[in-house]
Amino acid sequence: MDPLQERRLLLTRRHFFSRASTGLGAAALSSLLPAGLRAGAGASGLPHFAPKAKRVIYLFQHGGPSQLDLFDYKPNLHAQRGKDLPDSVRMGQRLTGMTAFQTNFPTAPSIFRFRQHGKSGMCLSELLPHLSGVADEIALIRSMHTEAINHDPAVTFLQTGFQLAGRPSMGSWLAYGLGSENQDLPSFVVMVSQGVGGTQALADRSWGSGFLPSKYQGVKFRSGADPVLYLSNPPGYDETARRRFLDDLARLNELKFKESQDPEISTRIAQYEMAFRMQSSVPELADLSKEPESTFEMYGPDARKPGTFAANCILARRLAERGVRFVQLFHRGWDAHGRLPKEIRGQCEQTDQPCAALINDLKQRGMLDDTIVVWGGEFGRTVYSQGELTEENYGRDHHPRCFAMWLAGGGIRGGVTHGETDDFSYNIVKDPVDVHDLHATILHCLGVDHTRLTYKYQGRHFRLTDVHGKVVKPLLA
Amino acid sequence: MLGFHPKLGIVLAAGCLNLLAAEKPVAFNRDVRPILSDKCFVCHGPDAAAKGVPMRLDSEAAAKADLGGGRRAVVPGDLDASHLVRRITADRPALRMPPVASNLALTPPEIETLRNWVIQGAKWEKHWSFIPPARPPLPEVKNRAWPRNGIDWFVLERLEAEGLQPSPAAGRATLLRRVSLDLTGLPPSPAEIDAFVNDPSPDAYEKAVDRLLASPRYGERMATPWLNAARYADTNGYQYDGERYMWRWRDWVIDAFNRNQPFNRFTLEQIAGDMLPGATLDQKIATGFNRNHRANTEDGIVAEEYAVEYVVDRVETTATAFLGLTLGCARCHNHKYDPFTQKEFYQVYSYFNNVPELGRAMKYGNSPPLLPAPTADQQTRRDELERRMEVHQKLLRDHQPELERAQAAWERRIREGEAVHWVPSSGLDLAVSFDGEGRVPVAPGRIGMAGVFDGNAELDAGDVLGYDIQDRFTLSAWVRSDSAPHGSVLSKMADKPDGKGYGLYLNHGKVHVHLTSNYVNDAIRVETEEVVPAGSWHHLTVTYTGSRMAEGVAVYIDGRAAPVKVLMDTLYRPFRNAGGEFKHPFRVGGGAGPERRFRGWIDDVRVYGRILQPEEISAIALGDPLNAVARKPAEQRSDIERLKLRWYFLEHAAAPEYREAWKQLVELTREKEKLERTFPTVMVMAERPVPNETHLLVRGAYDKPGEKVEPGLPAVLPPLPAGAPNNRLGFAMWLVDPSNPLTARVAVNRFWQAYFGVGLVKTTEDFGAQGEWPSHPELLDWLATEFVRTGWDVKALQKLIVTSATYRQSSRVTPELLRRDPENRLLARGPRQRLPAEMVRDQALYSAGLLAEKLGGPSVKPYQPDGLWKEIAMQDMDYVQSKAPDLYRRSLYTFWKRTIAPPLMVNFDAANHESCVVRETRTNTPLQALNLMNDVTFLEAARFVGQRMVTEGGQDRDARLRYGFRLVTGRPPAAAEAETLRNALNFHLDYFSNEAAAKTYLEQGDSPSDPSLHPRELASYAAVASLILNLDETITKE
Repeated sequence: MDPLQERRLLLTRRHFFSRASTGLGAAALSSLLPAGLRAGAGASGLPHFAPKAKRVIYLFQHGGPSQLDLFDYKPNLHAQRGKDLPDSVRMGQRLTGMTAFQTNFPTAPSIFRFRQHGKSGMCLSELLPHLSGVADEIALIRSMHTEAINHDPAVTFLQTGFQLAGRPSMGSWLAYGLGSENQDLPSFVVMVSQGVGGTQALADRSWGSGFLPSKYQGVKFRSGADPVLYLSNPPGYDETARRRFLDDLARLNELKFKESQDPEISTRIAQYEMAFRMQSSVPELADLSKEPESTFEMYGPDARKPGTFAANCILARRLAERGVRFVQLFHRGWDAHGRLPKEIRGQCEQTDQPCAALINDLKQRGMLDDTIVVWGGEFGRTVYSQGELTEENYGRDHHPRCFAMWLAGGGIRGGVTHGETDDFSYNIVKDPVDVHDLHATILHCLGVDHTRLTYKYQGRHFRLTDVHGKVVKPLLA
Repeated sequence: MLGFHPKLGIVLAAGCLNLLAAEKPVAFNRDVRPILSDKCFVCHGPDAAAKGVPMRLDSEAAAKADLGGGRRAVVPGDLDASHLVRRITADRPALRMPPVASNLALTPPEIETLRNWVIQGAKWEKHWSFIPPARPPLPEVKNRAWPRNGIDWFVLERLEAEGLQPSPAAGRATLLRRVSLDLTGLPPSPAEIDAFVNDPSPDAYEKAVDRLLASPRYGERMATPWLNAARYADTNGYQYDGERYMWRWRDWVIDAFNRNQPFNRFTLEQIAGDMLPGATLDQKIATGFNRNHRANTEDGIVAEEYAVEYVVDRVETTATAFLGLTLGCARCHNHKYDPFTQKEFYQVYSYFNNVPELGRAMKYGNSPPLLPAPTADQQTRRDELERRMEVHQKLLRDHQPELERAQAAWERRIREGEAVHWVPSSGLDLAVSFDGEGRVPVAPGRIGMAGVFDGNAELDAGDVLGYDIQDRFTLSAWVRSDSAPHGSVLSKMADKPDGKGYGLYLNHGKVHVHLTSNYVNDAIRVETEEVVPAGSWHHLTVTYTGSRMAEGVAVYIDGRAAPVKVLMDTLYRPFRNAGGEFKHPFRVGGGAGPERRFRGWIDDVRVYGRILQPEEISAIALGDPLNAVARKPAEQRSDIERLKLRWYFLEHAAAPEYREAWKQLVELTREKEKLERTFPTVMVMAERPVPNETHLLVRGAYDKPGEKVEPGLPAVLPPLPAGAPNNRLGFAMWLVDPSNPLTARVAVNRFWQAYFGVGLVKTTEDFGAQGEWPSHPELLDWLATEFVRTGWDVKALQKLIVTSATYRQSSRVTPELLRRDPENRLLARGPRQRLPAEMVRDQALYSAGLLAEKLGGPSVKPYQPDGLWKEIAMQDMDYVQSKAPDLYRRSLYTFWKRTIAPPLMVNFDAANHESCVVRETRTNTPLQALNLMNDVTFLEAARFVGQRMVTEGGQDRDARLRYGFRLVTGRPPAAAEAETLRNALNFHLDYFSNEAAAKTYLEQGDSPSDPSLHPRELASYAAVASLILNLDETITKE
């Protein structure tokens, strides 16, 4: 931050405050801020090249959605039904502590039907009727793999590129690298679907800033009165009073600045102004009442219920419209160890229509071209049944060796099906994509060379992709 | 190129290079190593061989060695022959170093530095921080009047060299606020300010400093950054993130600072207090430092994987916190920058790899090894109970002859009398004697009647004895079987093989005990080798300590301890997991499914909610009536027989006063056991009796062991001190040995950082090659040697810093100085820093008069927005807010849930408490503004500051405003400020003429306001107080 520039700014603002009447300060101040002072400014030299996309909406499916029942069609598996998973397939690879002691591993083909969709003929499960309608927009990766076998490390790996706590999440990296396009909203926003039963825990670190300054951490938007923590003025204290409060506060802080000359004070004044703007911009954003009926129809029956995945998808679109760099939704409940068919139906009922709606909605608004939509969880599920295999029921354990994700939008080639697994959807046989590759590819679409987005900490130049990662070219438009 | 000539050579080689630049002497450690490290070592550093790179630049010998054909990286004085120089200045991009693909580039000044270095003779130095600090003499300065102590000479020398002047001293009120916040974490009270400002004595400031250092608040303040370094938290982290209890360790830290424990002892006890000869409870508690790491309780994990992570965390944390080294970077390969090999990492790892622990932690509470750690108060209560027990014991002791005479007379009486049996009755939860039993067939048994079990019958005692895995209990019964005894004897579990619950059964004569939460990965199973013979009565007892480990189970056959084989030792969830139920009948002769029902006789079942002493167990197992024992001549009786007679006599037949004493003694013993069960525990370090083998892990992976390694230290650092054992204790001794070049430097640097916001070495966490060169290397070494010289006296060091002229400068800055030195590294002014998160809150509570000051104790749960845990945590966890006074404790006592940290703390940049953090960071965000304006914490504090303005500030408005402003900021408002405050008050008086709004506004927080105050007035002052609490100055140390 250039102190001289600061100084000029402050002179301007003092001048402004001396004339301006209460209430006008907010809007005017933002335009006064030089680029270097904006909370939203990114790191220098970024983007590294012309970006295809400006922002990301990441629909994280927590728990490990079953690739076998959604995306990875295995017609030959029915002949193997109930038979033990051959050792030649498993190859002694490690299992979780939950099934490692199981005495047999009965092969459990999906009970759901698959069909080809779109011009591309992408093969998708009957559980995804709405997504099937936009098959030509999405790039399906059937060959994702990860190192972790349990939720916490696997989610942490997907989110931060490392299994253990302490590194910044992808959204934080982008907030740090690319900054924000909106001065009234944070550049990284997180929403967690509420009202989903039987779920696994999440951790703040999934959107944490790790060793990056905490201003880059994801800001959680919640359903209810205070979409952002501490956003609302206390009862009995309205916006007029708050505006007046801020003017008095600014005046006192200005007096302090005059004496001590510490530029942190002017930054603080600016941050209070942004806080004030957030007090109106966030509720405006979170208020879906002005959305037309057609929106709710498109996103489905849950869309009117605050906190649902569907409602959050609408919010994600609204955040994207306002230039928020990274929006991440967390939807839990995919961890189907024991009653997969029943549970996955429920999950798909909640998520399939909103996902497809989001793609269509962005497209209609001309935003799909510069927004990447990412869908996926932290790992896949086993082909063998955890617990008893019956006509209607089976469970599946965690499976890190292959899983499926999809991407759509800016810079992504629609209709692509990338990668192949063996007949058991157990091992990848073609075009493996690891977590770092996924990160590198998303960054690439945003004009960021993943090897050059670095931050020095503990003597190392850290990257989201550690020392790995290759851009997956076939996924690119 | 012409022959080398010192100056001419430069001109020729460098063309337009400024001659003067070359004359400026290049210092390798200051100027050259940072460049080589950051730009070259990744490939040409300690791990070069792994990349197949022959040229190494991290050692002098390698850099100047012949790489074949006379090629050398560095030839002193010869630019042209130095391949290093040729490659970094190569015209062809393909030849130029660093390569494009590395994303590294040398700046022109860096290239010039390297060239000048070669020209000046390419002098090499060992990395500065690996050379033990030598005490430098105080440097010469021009302004000899300025320095107050050693620190200032070094600071001033640098300032004079830079052509700068120190700032004038800060005003007294400002200085007192600064030093009070720094030393105690709380601001001074107006009375303390008045006293200091009006104290004319020359040592007024020193007295104030001494007062602050003696305050118990000092320990709380000093503990806070140490808790960050030690990744202290109240939950386990990872997915389930259940609660743990490490606050006894936290309180140990506070106490260590308050009693000014020397830093070398502070270090020694935390690393290896348990291994010190005659280790005290406190010294063992201290080792909790290395048990503060996260611990995984997830169902599906591979436990071995996390067992490795815990050890790695210990190494990384210890290295960062005490040595300022990034040793963890050598986990998977040789360190890329520092001279540490991967093997050396595992040698250090081996010191910490000997803890008897499981990779999967306990889902609830502390994981072994752990220690009951009574608080001082609890210790007093226990001592009191013991004192009372002693009174009764003394009575019995003092009347021993009389008692013996009476007992002998009684023994004679019972020789021929009715059968007399004795069994312990204290703590008995269930007894089934089968005498008069109607639920199962009976037959004459060992004592009276016995139950007859035919493989179908079982006795259902109802849903009783619902012990869980943390409870202690004793099961006992007589059994007899015609063939090798087999089947369930006692159980409370789901009636299927491997069902949930606990049970005692016989496996073809072997005694088998289990506690099972989930077969097959969550259970304890032990079995004796000894076989219970068929055809006769035998007594079985099982005791369980509630340790949740197999070592907590003991089996006795016929009153003798029977060694057991541990078949499974993975228990980690309670029977009532996640608040679930544990409802099964307690069965005799059954459980674990119909096939496991017992065949034979069972008699005299006794279950106790305590652990019977071995003598008590032996006494029960004697079985025969006491009459027979009484008939034996005294010298033929066994010890147990004698004891048993005595116990019965004292319980039933002695004179009333002795019976009463005995009864009291037994009751007090139970009471003491009960008290001991309430002792908090703390996880501690411990050593396995047989050391674990440590292997290098290939690529750092838990399942890829490589060569075996022995405990050892990195070769570049000094060896263990003479006489130190090569174990964790020796490692701890080495850390604080004066020969260690790092420990004292790292410690003083971290303390320095707390005052000035930046360390003398900015990279507090990294003193290696990638760390920053110190801003004042001589000062750092002077402080480090001074620290050791004074016996590692922590308070003396703090006093030294805060009494320096450097610290006492005004923090005002000029635009010119700001441009010159934005981070204040040259120290031409005093520190101006936003307060750490904890202080932001504590100060507000203190100003409001709400702060509840109490040292230590369990963590507390202050205000937090509703639903934060519910939204993302496991369903069975919710945040239950504390009530006053715990609502208002200092922030270092705030419950820290790792996966959902307290939002106020997070907003203000508190460390994450997931891993070791020693560097302080400050950001300035809109979320902080929202937090200060709208969080109930600060609104309630504002309400009380407002109330104090009205009730304590006098009658007129200006006086009240002045009072409140000074209460929070420590100074009266200037005229312009007073005017703004007055206007603000007037605005709010007008605004809150709407009394409904005023009342609503005043509803924030649990503590009621003074009811005599008018809502409009109080709300208006509260709003102005909120304004004051939001000031930049308020949350800033000036």
